[in-house]
Amino acid sequence: MKEHIGYHYTAVWPVVGSVHTDTIYTTWLVMAVVLALLASVGSSYRRPRVGKTQTVFEGVIEYIADLVHGSLGKSGEPFVPFFVALFIFLFALNQFGVFPFKLFGLSIGGSPTADLNTTVPYAFLIFVLIQVVAVRKKGVAYFKHLAQPFPIMLPINLLEESMRPVTLAARLFFNIFVGELLFIIVASIIVQGVMIGPFNLSIAVAIVPFFIQFFNFFVGTVQAFIFTLLGVVYLSLATGDEH
Amino acid sequence: MSSEALIAAATILAFGIIILGVAFGSAVGDGIVASKAVEAIARQPEARPNIFLFMFLGIGVLEAFPIIGLGLGFYLLLVVANVPALLSHLAK
Repeated sequence: MKEHIGYHYTAVWPVVGSVHTDTIYTTWLVMAVVLALLASVGSSYRRPRVGKTQTVFEGVIEYIADLVHGSLGKSGEPFVPFFVALFIFLFALNQFGVFPFKLFGLSIGGSPTADLNTTVPYAFLIFVLIQVVAVRKKGVAYFKHLAQPFPIMLPINLLEESMRPVTLAARLFFNIFVGELLFIIVASIIVQGVMIGPFNLSIAVAIVPFFIQFFNFFVGTVQAFIFTLLGVVYLSLATGDEH
Repeated sequence: MSSEALIAAATILAFGIIILGVAFGSAVGDGIVASKAVEAIARQPEARPNIFLFMFLGIGVLEAFPIIGLGLGFYLLLVVANVPALLSHLAK
């Protein structure tokens, strides 16, 4: 089987060392595509008519803005662009695995989020953002919440706080990774030509990838949304008033 | 019984147990979330969009764990023990 589980093209770059080149190139490509799309949407506001794309993007942005305002109140206003950008970019990264560039021998393709090297930095970014914003708002007194309600709870609170980015990264990674894994498994069943009596199971199984693709689209959308929403919720938990 | 057959059998059994656990747990959890959401909508039909949002959030958070279990199970089956290679070796 040429396509391995969790296989990546690797190369040794100066300064940074060994890297997954397909993940990096795909991320750059998605960045370019998303930037071009958003620039075209932004420049379309110069025209007097309201387009369909504008309406779709306004719906997405207002939905996430309502979410941030609902959780963080007035102080959430500066974070709306960040979370909107996070959602749109993660959505694009998740859905980019649809294009089978790797089959044509190119060094790009596959979802970059099906690689822990992509999801861990995003989770770490959220974690650092939360700590910085909370310390700016409350001062060093913010770290007192680790000793709540009793000082003896410190290890448990510390564990809970540090497990948040880990579960955030692992959830996104495994959901997208298993979506790609299912394709490989179905493909290997088709290639092997399994016979059950007179029936060829491989032909019957050949329709399954069609449904897996729907499942992947749903999962990619929901996981991008959940990543964003959990970021908002953790931020509101850290910066909210004591209760 | 050769040791390869034993490894293949034990790995397939372990995979079955993993899938049993994650499928049972996530099915019960999904059922609880959906039934509570239906109850809440029946009680307050005007809060329906909000309830749907939190229902999908809960299901999405919950679905991550069976998928993590499935991923680790496939990792065990295909990479750690490499059952397809063992089986094709046994068939010779």
